[in-house]
Amino acid sequence: MQPYELTLAGAAKAIGAGGLSPTELTDSYLERIEAVEGQLGAYVTVRAQAAREAAARAGRDIAAGRHLGPLHGIPMGLKDLIDVAGLPTTASSRVRADHTASADSTVAARLKAAGAVLIGKTHTHEFAYGLTTPQTRNAWAHDRVAGGSSGGSAVAVAAGEAAFALGTDTGGSIRVPAALNGVVGLKPTYGLVPLKGVTPLSWSLDHAGPITRTVEDAALVLDVLTGQQPGDGARKFERARRDPRGFDEDLTGLRVGVPANYYFDRVEPEVEKTVRGAIEHLAWLGAELVDVGIPMTEYIQATAWGLMVPEATAYHERTLRTSPELYTADVRVLLEAGTLVSAGDYLRAQRSRTLMRSAWAELFDRVDVLAAPTVPCVAARSDQETVRWADGSTESVTDSYVRLSAPANLTGLPSLSLPVGLDGAGLPIGMQLIGRPLGEATILGAGRAFEATRGDAVGLAPVAAG
Amino acid sequence: MTTADLLPQEVSPWALRAGLPLAAERLDPVAATANHVQGVIGALRALDFAETAPAATYFAGEEPADAAV
Repeated sequence: MQPYELTLAGAAKAIGAGGLSPTELTDSYLERIEAVEGQLGAYVTVRAQAAREAAARAGRDIAAGRHLGPLHGIPMGLKDLIDVAGLPTTASSRVRADHTASADSTVAARLKAAGAVLIGKTHTHEFAYGLTTPQTRNAWAHDRVAGGSSGGSAVAVAAGEAAFALGTDTGGSIRVPAALNGVVGLKPTYGLVPLKGVTPLSWSLDHAGPITRTVEDAALVLDVLTGQQPGDGARKFERARRDPRGFDEDLTGLRVGVPANYYFDRVEPEVEKTVRGAIEHLAWLGAELVDVGIPMTEYIQATAWGLMVPEATAYHERTLRTSPELYTADVRVLLEAGTLVSAGDYLRAQRSRTLMRSAWAELFDRVDVLAAPTVPCVAARSDQETVRWADGSTESVTDSYVRLSAPANLTGLPSLSLPVGLDGAGLPIGMQLIGRPLGEATILGAGRAFEATRGDAVGLAPVAAG
Repeated sequence: MTTADLLPQEVSPWALRAGLPLAAERLDPVAATANHVQGVIGALRALDFAETAPAATYFAGEEPADAAV
């Protein structure tokens, strides 16, 4: 086994035991990137020399007894919306051609303080405004989309080009590419992870979170992202951590909601079968399955668009006036059209969100976790624009990808996507576990129990060196 | 097309009023996208909000944890 094949937890354990150095680990990742990145396009930039220097420093510190924790000496990728002092934050856009971040984002600073080694910045769909990340290819099938908008981060982790990565999620942009590439993605509770220094798409819907190979790894990264020093995130996460179930493999007492509507409508048969099988596995581990109705489903897309479209346009207002030609065509026209959404429509979306939050809170009176597919289909071919469903309806690929993930953005609820199997063509399928506000420990616990007992569901993507 | 849809020639003054001058060649695609967006978010008009307040939040005297750039 090569060092890059280790999970984050496995690498951390090996480093802690002295059997692996951060330099050996980083070199292994850099060699892997050299071998496969040409086929994948996950990275905007790879900082090989800086990563080697940071790894050497980490090695010296650890040898001197200054071990900062499980992320110390671990190579990571950051979505290129996340500021790192002295580096460009390109947002994968020509608009940011001359950008240099003057300071670290809060998340980058926390990861740096934890000793993580930045190996590079990963591609996003331009300014996170899309679900495919066209610069990047799916780790499992290069003729298929990576998903997005954190496509580079998900592919980098899936292909062994980073031990973990950060993504952002406004309608599903962590979970969608995680599901399509067979890795784990966690969208934390709204507000739990600070977004200072992260380029926004839509302030009221944006989240940052980890993309990892395992649920166990996601928990390790979340610990750091929420901050260990006194601060807002830390205070909130103290509440989130107090879940008596921990990471036990026995889910007795856990009530898992199974949606009777919406989440299994217009879903590919193989995705439905695999996710329902995964839910049955949770029951086998002791969980009680409870049928639940999903509220206000006819207003999900309207509420999401009513918030996101005008907020995105507001952020880009100045550059849209001065240099609109620098945006890609699909993003430009959405930003321009956003100027025509009225304040009345925006307020209706905000009021709808209030209603939705209340209705979902009632749902969580009956269950601890909601289990559902992350996306209704596997990764689409890169040239595919629409999905045709068994009921005869047609949906754009983007609309289908965001359909099942957007409710957790609107409600702010934490949602964990984890790989639960492959379809007949060998493409990954993801299941999401949605929890109560600050219920990260519960969804991570349930996901960890699944992973520990069905750990063979999906592994590293089989990308051959080329 | 519904009666509420904007024609391409109507897009220009409305966009300008919102602060964005649009070149003539942008009017057709922007009108089509804006009408599509409006067709989706218009569904919210069917909701009876009664006393429901917007979800947007404001923190007096404290920077919210989710502050962005």
